[in-house]
Amino acid sequence: MGALTQLLRRRKFPYRIVSVLSVFVGVYWFLQLPTNEHSRGTYMSENALMPGQVHTYFGGTESMIFRAYHHEVEALENATSTRRVEMLGKIMKDNGLEVGRQKYTYEASGEVYKGENVYSILQAPRGDATEAIVLCAGWRNAEGELNKAGVALTLSLGRYLKRWSLWSKDIIFLITEDSRAGPQAWVDAYHDMQSTSVEPLPVKSGVIQGAVAIDYPHKNFRAYHLMYDGINGQLPNLDLINSLIKIADNQMHVDVKLQEMWDHTDSYKDRLRTMARGMVNQALGHSSGAHSSFIPYHIDAITIQMTGENGWYNEVTIGRTLESICRSLNNLLEHFHQSFFFYLLMHPHRFVSIGTYLPSAMLIAINFTITAIGLWLESGQPKDKKEKDKNPKPEITESEKAALDTSVESSNKTTEIATPSNDEPLIVERQLLLPVTIVVAIHALGFLPLYLFNNLDKAALTPVFYAFTVFSSLLPPVISLALRPLAPTAQTFTLIKSFSLLLLGLFLSTLATINFSLSFVIGLLSVPFTFTRFLKAGIFERILFWGVIQVLSPMMALELVAKYWGLPVGDILMEAAFGWKVWGMWTQVVVFGVWWPAWIAAQVGVWSPLSGVQRD
Amino acid sequence: MSEAPVDPSTIISHSHSSTSDYSESLFLRTLPNNALLASFQFRTNGTIDSSHMSLFPQSLNQVLKASHTKELHLKFTLGRWKAREYGPEPWEGRTAGGTGVELWAWVDAEDDAQAEQRWKTLTNALSGLFCASLNFIDSTRTIRPILTFHPTGTHDPTSNLHLLHGSLPREPVCTENLTPFLKLLPCKGKVGVSSLLDGHKLFDAAWQAMSIDVRPLCDSDGTNCKLQMEQTVDMVIDVERSLLKQNGPIPKPKERHQLVCDGSKEYLTTDDACLPLDNVKDQQFTLTDVFGRGIRGSCPLDEMENGEAREQVCLNVPEQRGVYLSEGYQEQKLSKSLRCYALKENQDFDLILTEQSPSIKLPSTEPLLYAERSFTGHGQERGGVQAVLRNPSLTSPVNFVYLESLPWFMKPYLHTLRANLDKPAPTNSSSSPILETHYRPFLDRKRGTQLEIALQVPANTTLTLTYEFDKAILRYTEYPPDANRGFDIAPAIIAILPPSSLSDGALGATQQPTYLRTTSLLLPLPTPDFSMPYNVIILTSTVMALAFGSILNLLIRRFVGADEVPGVGSGLKEKVRGKLRRLGLGGKKKEE
Repeated sequence: MGALTQLLRRRKFPYRIVSVLSVFVGVYWFLQLPTNEHSRGTYMSENALMPGQVHTYFGGTESMIFRAYHHEVEALENATSTRRVEMLGKIMKDNGLEVGRQKYTYEASGEVYKGENVYSILQAPRGDATEAIVLCAGWRNAEGELNKAGVALTLSLGRYLKRWSLWSKDIIFLITEDSRAGPQAWVDAYHDMQSTSVEPLPVKSGVIQGAVAIDYPHKNFRAYHLMYDGINGQLPNLDLINSLIKIADNQMHVDVKLQEMWDHTDSYKDRLRTMARGMVNQALGHSSGAHSSFIPYHIDAITIQMTGENGWYNEVTIGRTLESICRSLNNLLEHFHQSFFFYLLMHPHRFVSIGTYLPSAMLIAINFTITAIGLWLESGQPKDKKEKDKNPKPEITESEKAALDTSVESSNKTTEIATPSNDEPLIVERQLLLPVTIVVAIHALGFLPLYLFNNLDKAALTPVFYAFTVFSSLLPPVISLALRPLAPTAQTFTLIKSFSLLLLGLFLSTLATINFSLSFVIGLLSVPFTFTRFLKAGIFERILFWGVIQVLSPMMALELVAKYWGLPVGDILMEAAFGWKVWGMWTQVVVFGVWWPAWIAAQVGVWSPLSGVQRD
Repeated sequence: MSEAPVDPSTIISHSHSSTSDYSESLFLRTLPNNALLASFQFRTNGTIDSSHMSLFPQSLNQVLKASHTKELHLKFTLGRWKAREYGPEPWEGRTAGGTGVELWAWVDAEDDAQAEQRWKTLTNALSGLFCASLNFIDSTRTIRPILTFHPTGTHDPTSNLHLLHGSLPREPVCTENLTPFLKLLPCKGKVGVSSLLDGHKLFDAAWQAMSIDVRPLCDSDGTNCKLQMEQTVDMVIDVERSLLKQNGPIPKPKERHQLVCDGSKEYLTTDDACLPLDNVKDQQFTLTDVFGRGIRGSCPLDEMENGEAREQVCLNVPEQRGVYLSEGYQEQKLSKSLRCYALKENQDFDLILTEQSPSIKLPSTEPLLYAERSFTGHGQERGGVQAVLRNPSLTSPVNFVYLESLPWFMKPYLHTLRANLDKPAPTNSSSSPILETHYRPFLDRKRGTQLEIALQVPANTTLTLTYEFDKAILRYTEYPPDANRGFDIAPAIIAILPPSSLSDGALGATQQPTYLRTTSLLLPLPTPDFSMPYNVIILTSTVMALAFGSILNLLIRRFVGADEVPGVGSGLKEKVRGKLRRLGLGGKKKEE
């Protein structure tokens, strides 16, 4: 502490160097994660799972039954949802399972999402209805494709698994209308947390210990694609993922792909790409499959997607995989807790855990805090003693004007204290009211886009988005202009920047522990906010800063996401509004409540000359 | 048309002669989806003062005597009764308990403390007798219900009886409980209907309940008293699974020729696909198929006083179903769908129920009430309970008592208790469905919550009962030592009052309520990572030891060169002296 205090007293806190250093170390740290030295091989923590230790018997005549159900499902493709649910329910009932149905309606961006789920419960023989496993197949998968084989397989497993007497947990076979709203409606109602437009469930079982969703539109496939991202970047326990990968590898000899990395050579580059894709999904915080809705309820869930048309594997392989994973989940004595909940996967067999990756995001978040502290110290010190001696008066009068309710008395007092000692560093009083008001106002203004984009109609979203982009670009110069009558000083802008960065650092470091990826991405895109030098900068420098910040705006990021997915911006906004209404997604709160205000504050700095502030 | 399914209590009570010392019976009924209900009943009569030999087991009698227990009910239950599919529970729900073990008894005692003491004696003794953890029924799991239970025997009105009730929802009921159960029977499962009770088959049942009820019974004038013990075993067997097990323990996919396909589908031939129809037929089975063996003749102790044969086995199947018997046995039809058989000594009995395709079901009857209970909400801090109680009757309301026994670490808020009807109640009935509430709040670590609510649900209406609760944080030693899957919450007990009691208010001695239990619940509590404190202790201890050791060394040790110490390395004597000097003794000696 002694060394630090000394540094601060000498007014030579080299915050810029520390900031730059922390950003570089943070990024370097992140880039080091995929190496063998910093990542770890995955391993099973929960011994009770015993993945792949059982013989599986699905196949033989069960395949014939699967094919029959496949035909039945195909025949229902264009049926109404009532008829579909009726037919699927009948098949389940014929197989001796208890059947329930649930209708739901959601509304987001003026669109109505309606559907009906059907599910059946295999009551564990001798079981006491305290625990359950869910096998879920959306009638349509996340891409809107008819999940033909997936539904047929769920139906045939319902029949096949009932014959075993060893179940200690109920197995719920759930067929939802789609893979987005349907599972959410069902899992909400299961916990009796549903909104009024969602029907309660007629039959329930116990605590759900695990859920596996099947995305299997075509009969033959080449590999499994494992999806594990939950809403708001929450992840299932790593043990569940490991179990599946172990079963697929050792028992079924099927390749498992992650994050749409179809060819993974286990090179540094591929690992980094897998990790980065995972982080994009995590940062967006949206639902990536039917499993995502389960995760916020502390139900570990994954989606297995069959990829590669006309491959050499068929329903027997996936049927046995599911049989095996159900047996593993059935073995669980406790809720998943042994392995990691915070991790980044870079290869089916390699990961980094939170202890290793967290420092990178933390360092980037800390860079803002350090700069904020540095700026705070700087704002309390006159740049040059001579300058201060030359004209202490005008500053006071200016500050009097600026801070209307600061009494003249107190400011005079301060100067009295500040002026006499020439050896001691001068302490200038900080005029806090104006900068605090501006920072708070900008943050409060963030609720406007949050409200607008979550509640506007579909058609209005795109025009409003562009209008909002223009508004955001015009807002900083307008703020600067509006400040002119208040005669702000250089200190005012230093403090605005300081407070804004302080808040950003605070939010991002907190966020890093919950959603690492979102914090890391926003942190990286906000790095220029730290390094804008606007008070001494010349006109070209200013234009450069303005350009860089403009390019790294939240609005541009949204455009980028739209490009990444190949969708129009309006669709992304619709998805976000849907996420907010249905899934309880918080990404936009972070974007409009944390990132956007920080961005505006940075631009206000760039536009500061408009306010008539004196240049140093 | 075939008639409604028969409840075992209606036929067995009239066929049982109450005077004989021992009687046993088996009742079989087919249920939908290839399930079979088997209800065994064994009734033993003994004298109140068992000073002489009787069939009433001495072991149990001594326990009852020692604990001054006048009436005893002990239930072991596993699995769920699917009311939607099977209809009302057999014996009007009086024989089955909640999941796990349930025990209640009327104990004669002067005051509560003495009752508590005697209850403790009883639970500990029964624990040993039945190989169950009944001794874990301590004060936190004991409740004293007021409305739900009523004595079934005749008791001295002057005696001071205390009703105590305890349950262990987590108790796994298994063969070790069956063996002592069978030992209480005079024929010990060797002959008679009890010879069907094989552990392997019994515990593979989808639902299974074992119960022991002991009650004193007297004639109406209070004389001729005897102690009656009724033992029952009820089970629902999945016939299809039992048949599969004969081919091996693993339910491999069926052979092709065993599949029954829907021939009307055109893809049957084109794609070699098969829409199965096998669940649509009733499968053929024998007693040996489902119980592992047939009945080995009758129990010689079970006979009428006049030596006449009595039908011990009754079968309730649709009239159309073919039934074949072992040689030498005759069928007696009591009604269209009810056939009974009298067992013969030393003559094995088996029967074959033929295949029936398409299946014929006995017309289903609705239970008086459907009850489901589940948790609401999520998280580690608080939660809610929701009980959905549906009255399926279109005409008559149902009056019942809902009893919850909650552990102390689940802390309900009574002010959040809500009872909502899905339809407005008819105008002539009372406004609130809650008629009466008895509540005994929990005391931390001393006793649990007892909540008894008398409710009325109008015809064709669903009542949703909800309340919220807080989850307590336990001390780390209070977690059970096993893998922590959560804490089981005992099933709610629902006593449906007979309709006639609605009018006069008082419950007649002969009119017992119908009982119903919900499933148990699993309550996850905030759980510490138990291995974490261990890791932390190890790590901090190491760091502490290293730091402490080196600092202590630096502070108290004097470091000197080896050559500076006199007498190092020259004989034992010098070494000892050196040691002494170091302790401050040797130096003085030298000076002297």
